[in-house]
Amino acid sequence: MNIPLGHYLILAAILFAIGLAGALTRKNAIIVLMGIEVMFNSAILNLVAFWHYKHFAVPTAQLFAIFAIAIAAAESAVGLALVIAVYRHYKSVDVDEMKELKG
Amino acid sequence: MNIAFWIISAVAVLGAVLAVTLRNLVHCVLALILFFIGIAAHYFLLRADFLGTVQILIYVGAVAVLILFAIMLTHNVTGVDGPKELLGVKWWSGAAIAATLAILLKKAILSDPLATLLPAGDKAQSSVAEIGKALVAGWVVSLEAIAILLTAALIGAVVIALEEIQKS
Repeated sequence: MNIPLGHYLILAAILFAIGLAGALTRKNAIIVLMGIEVMFNSAILNLVAFWHYKHFAVPTAQLFAIFAIAIAAAESAVGLALVIAVYRHYKSVDVDEMKELKG
Repeated sequence: MNIAFWIISAVAVLGAVLAVTLRNLVHCVLALILFFIGIAAHYFLLRADFLGTVQILIYVGAVAVLILFAIMLTHNVTGVDGPKELLGVKWWSGAAIAATLAILLKKAILSDPLATLLPAGDKAQSSVAEIGKALVAGWVVSLEAIAILLTAALIGAVVIALEEIQKS
């Protein structure tokens, strides 16, 4: 494979921007969480690409990626539980309607 | 191998774009699964076979199903997004911010000498055994910390989601 590292970095940057756009523009809290998942995955793709191009002999970067995936899984579980709790309270998952603490 | 990179990248970008733009929430999750599978294919292409398997098991197997359950619990199984929200002022401003970020990142990446780096060694060997040894030898404290974190997240998710039921 003779793809330069920059291709992977630019791909991850594009995916990160798509996830950011989703998290910023959508009203539904579940889709905001999905945008955050897209951003997480693009960051981990960066990590794995750097491992493949720079430190292929040692598996340490893969361990960091595994820990990041575990933390992302925990984050999405708690986030979705929060969405369900907010839905029970407001009867809606629209992030624009959650403004009780707005100054 | 180069053609595989472009095809997998196109699939991943298509999945990500559809996941944040489609109207039907269930369709969004299906597009997100396509994106996750594209990322897993990239891991296989980068010789990180264990990470690719973990990606499919955790994201396609667990996170996507969790999101589907959350949609079903909050939308009475209809799964259709609310009023029209695409192509408004908010959409254009968010897309402009994301496009600016992507362009700036692209400039920064291309200005770095690392961007033209080619892979040093590309031997097709599995790294699962090395990962397993490293996890129980040098990184065992981190492994235990992750185990505690996952347990706390599990209990926390149940407590947060059950709170209102006990009151009523």
